[in-house]
Amino acid sequence: MSTRTFPGLGLWKGMWVTLSTMFKTIFMPGKHLKTVMYPDVKETPVPRARGVIALDQEACTVCMLCARNCPDWCIYIEGHKVEVPPDKPGGRVKIRNTLDRFDIDYALCMYCGICVEVCPFDALFWSPEYEYSEYEMGKLMHDKERLSEWLATVPEQPEIAQ
Amino acid sequence: MTLDQDLVRHLSEVSVSVELQTPEMTLNIGPQHPSTHGVLRLVARVDGERAYDVRPVIGYMHRGYEKLAEVRNYPQITTIVNRIDWVAGYANEIPFITAAEKLMELEVPPRALWIRLILTEMARMASHLIFMASYPLELGAQTPLFFALRERERVLDLLEGVTGGRFHPNFNRIGGVKPAYGSGSKTRKLVQDLPKTFYEETRRAMDEVLHACDQLEDLVAGNEIILARTKGIGVLPPEVAVAYGVTGPNLRASGVPFDLRKVENYLPYDQFDFQVITTQNGDCWDRWWCRLQEIRESAKIVQQAIDSIPSGPIQAKVPKVIKVPKGETYVRAENPKGEMGYYLVSEGGQGPYRLKIRSASFSNISVLPWILEGVLVPDIIAIMGSLDFVLGDVDR
Repeated sequence: MSTRTFPGLGLWKGMWVTLSTMFKTIFMPGKHLKTVMYPDVKETPVPRARGVIALDQEACTVCMLCARNCPDWCIYIEGHKVEVPPDKPGGRVKIRNTLDRFDIDYALCMYCGICVEVCPFDALFWSPEYEYSEYEMGKLMHDKERLSEWLATVPEQPEIAQ
Repeated sequence: MTLDQDLVRHLSEVSVSVELQTPEMTLNIGPQHPSTHGVLRLVARVDGERAYDVRPVIGYMHRGYEKLAEVRNYPQITTIVNRIDWVAGYANEIPFITAAEKLMELEVPPRALWIRLILTEMARMASHLIFMASYPLELGAQTPLFFALRERERVLDLLEGVTGGRFHPNFNRIGGVKPAYGSGSKTRKLVQDLPKTFYEETRRAMDEVLHACDQLEDLVAGNEIILARTKGIGVLPPEVAVAYGVTGPNLRASGVPFDLRKVENYLPYDQFDFQVITTQNGDCWDRWWCRLQEIRESAKIVQQAIDSIPSGPIQAKVPKVIKVPKGETYVRAENPKGEMGYYLVSEGGQGPYRLKIRSASFSNISVLPWILEGVLVPDIIAIMGSLDFVLGDVDR
């Protein structure tokens, strides 16, 4: 517990803290300045940051696991089956699922990462990009082309401790 | 000429009571008042400068999480409970996950428990640093805000580096902490343990936080204006605090050494050496002091945990579709704001049958009518701020 000492001493102590911090930030900004002039200078987010979800269209098999596990059901998936001709004559006709629609409504998304976690085919990734705010709420619905564009920004994951 | 002090005071009282007849009026504070930490509305009967019958009106932020939890499965609920007390989102997950694990009788690997403990203490520091920022601001001092938020950013950066989220980490899974980046063949290898640089960064950040606690103490503790506005104001006697169910630093500031970290065994706190901070007066100043000391204790716990963290798996073996066996349990944990508990009733399905959430702030603000009876109007803000509640935690 702080005891009362010389009257006004606490005030001078407080003044000294602000004054020394001011001189530190003026003369050693590299070490002590913490603020960033945002639109001109940008901080790099950590690689694990959950910014936006990137989609690898080739890997998606329309299994709907992500859409079903989403806590607020903001993923909309539609697909259809295509018959793929056999590789060699006499082989079986394969049936492949192809993706027609993959929309994520970022106005609803809670950024929990469950969809990325449950995807068994490595089709969804987290990207730390964050600059995709819009003036209209409807534009936050990202379709599969827009989601695929984020794929280039997916970072390498850091080394882990053990 | 010397004035007789007794006479002067006497005369002024007479003039107030005779000339300024103040009618009683009802004063609404909020629901969107900047100092109420959210949408809390206070209805007070004001007689001159004194407030009587202060009644908190809550429910403006009710989101129905108890009901939402009934239609979701266990991994999905973790994202929801993050948002109850958003200042310390990580600390909310722990009792819920522990309750589900208790029903499933799962053995959690020690490394996962250690990671949980480290991150919970970081969440506690983040929450108390917000208080260190906002409380002097409510009393009119702006400077401590910048010092406290600078340190909070350090702590949140560490949390984000591990979990990927600053406010809503969603990092705990039943049986451990987040197992993998994804479950696909390529990403399965990227098991999300702590990043390699985490230990070193944490040691450095904890030193900085301890240094900043000294700075904050120098800034605030000697300030005569803050002392005059907090010492002896809003005294909460221990028996009243216990009767109203006040927990956390508010209770410990009244002199009751009750800390669930020492009582319950939801996380291995018995392995660490830390103090339960108590003060005797129970006024606003003591509540501030208690929280500052708790930041220091938390930093010490993190330092010890970093040194003693065991290696091994971070996830127990759990089935892919998690079903919790039939039963009911109550698990409580020490949230930064106080006792947070989940009463979980399971019928054996993928989601709970009922989830009752006991949050700390709700009980803490229920003492407001008692503690604000007959105080001066400016002191309402000082006392309310010192209780450190979050409206998301009150209304859920």
